[in-house]
Amino acid sequence: MDDATGRPVKLDVSDVCIGYRDRRSGSFFAAVQDLGFQIHENEFIAIVGPSGCGKTTFLSAVAGLLPIAHGTLELNGAPITGPAEDRSLVFQQASLFPWRTVAANIAYGLEAQRRLDAAGRQRVADLIELVGLAGKEGKYPRELSGGMSQRVNLARALATDPDLLLLDEPFAALDAQTREVMQEELTRIWQADEAGAGKTALFITHDVPEAVFLADRVLVFSASPGRLVESVPIDLPRPRNRDVKRSPEFMDQTEYLLDLVMRQSGLRQEVES
Amino acid sequence: MTDTVERGAPVIESRPLTELDRRPTFFARHKSLLLGLIGGLIVLSSWQTLVWVGVVDDKFASSPLGAIEGIGYLAESGMLWEPTFSTLTSVGLGILISIVIGVPLGLVIGRSSVLHGLAEPLISIMYSVPFVVFLPIIIFWFGIDDTARLVIVVWAAVFPLLINVVAGARNLDANYLQVSRVFCSSRLKTLWSVSLPGTMPYILAGFRQAVARSLVGAIVAELFMGTEGLGYVVQAETSNFQMDHAMAAIGVIAVIAVLLTRGVAWLESRLTFWSGSVD
Ligand SMILES: Nc1ncnc2c1ncn2[C@@H]1O[C@H](COP(=O)(O)OP(=O)(O)O)[C@@H](O)[C@H]1O
Ligand SMILES: [Mg+2]
Repeated sequence: MDDATGRPVKLDVSDVCIGYRDRRSGSFFAAVQDLGFQIHENEFIAIVGPSGCGKTTFLSAVAGLLPIAHGTLELNGAPITGPAEDRSLVFQQASLFPWRTVAANIAYGLEAQRRLDAAGRQRVADLIELVGLAGKEGKYPRELSGGMSQRVNLARALATDPDLLLLDEPFAALDAQTREVMQEELTRIWQADEAGAGKTALFITHDVPEAVFLADRVLVFSASPGRLVESVPIDLPRPRNRDVKRSPEFMDQTEYLLDLVMRQSGLRQEVES
Repeated sequence: MTDTVERGAPVIESRPLTELDRRPTFFARHKSLLLGLIGGLIVLSSWQTLVWVGVVDDKFASSPLGAIEGIGYLAESGMLWEPTFSTLTSVGLGILISIVIGVPLGLVIGRSSVLHGLAEPLISIMYSVPFVVFLPIIIFWFGIDDTARLVIVVWAAVFPLLINVVAGARNLDANYLQVSRVFCSSRLKTLWSVSLPGTMPYILAGFRQAVARSLVGAIVAELFMGTEGLGYVVQAETSNFQMDHAMAAIGVIAVIAVLLTRGVAWLESRLTFWSGSVD
């Protein structure tokens, strides 16, 4: 698509169809269809769309957890065939290992990839600091609040220093106040993490203001089966903080996108015509 | 969150002690233990009284005091420590073998739907059928030496362990496995770092049953085919009409059973402290 700065393409999605096969009847159900767009290096992309439109399905395919039924899905020019060390996923449910401490949970990815050497340990220590969990490294997940769990979840994904970071509604389960804090934290971490700086992120949410606040570009998906409806660049200056949310530009873009998303869930025919 | 704790703590300390803060009495704190001891004492002293009064013949039914004397006799005549050691060896070795077989096999069966389909009915049947009915066949196969005793202990212990590990592996949270996949864990790493700890509560539940049943297995084996062990002492002394000695050996078995149960409970609290809620 249009990229004013001419940055190289990171993720190339074209004519993609992903779905599920019913185990009993054998019939195929497409969760995502005719999907096509490109993501460029360093972009922070948010995907919004009505619930059930296939956002998680799409993200799972990018993570390599689901095969695509049709089309091409390429990362850095190579087709995605399975999970790889260049991608990390921040899960919707924190999915922390309850038998591991905060530090050991964050280190899990590095450990699994045999990269937990001195530098890896240092990275884990730095991340604990960065995500605001200093002093909590020895705690177990059951002792953490929802917000803290998601910080660990995020740090675990950042620890392996992924080329493409995937986030599936990481703040959806949090209360409104914690969610606001975490949104700001994410922008701060994103800008502060040296290893992560300049990395590409794909953030899924159904919360439009969250998408506008975080993203460089918002992709709107249609209702099931999900297709791309519109790609909306967000021209808010960075670094962003909560004041941005009161600016007229923010409100305009949020208003515009909200309207678009509402039309997906409500009046589908209008879009198709 | 930390704020409230830090601000809250001194307030509680400076609050004057009231009726609500009164420490529960010694009896209230150890109620169930004390009641249990009293119950046991009542039964034992009634038994002893019946013997003294002459209602019960202690040549026939033994007596608590006679059993205590019996322990002295067993110790003197070399029928206490050696048989205890022998029984514990059978139990320990049997459980060890059961764990080495049961845990990996259970994890593999539980994670594979084909293997589960193949093995599950068989395991359930073997778990449900009382293992003692296999005793004659095992004697036929292995004779009555140490190997046969060990086979019975393993036979008794491995199925409860297996059935629990399989259930645990099947109920393993799919999210954990997904995390493992996303971070490109090898199969072995996933088995060791995710499946094993994730199944640990089930493994320990199975282990608890396995320990109890292995003791039963060991004693049964000694009763019927032993030349050593506490079961054999009970059998031999009963045949000699030495009820006090037999009762003493039973007392030792009871102590072993209680200690094993306690040990398993301690192990459970050590290994699965992370499950359950904060208190
Ligand atoms: N494992 C699955 N098997 C079958 N259908 C599924 C599965 N997961 C999701 N779906 C279906 O695919 C569609 C898209 O789901 P999902 O990707 O979770 O949507 P979203 O994340 O946008 O809410 C839904 O209709 C859902 O019912
Ligand atoms: Mg979803």
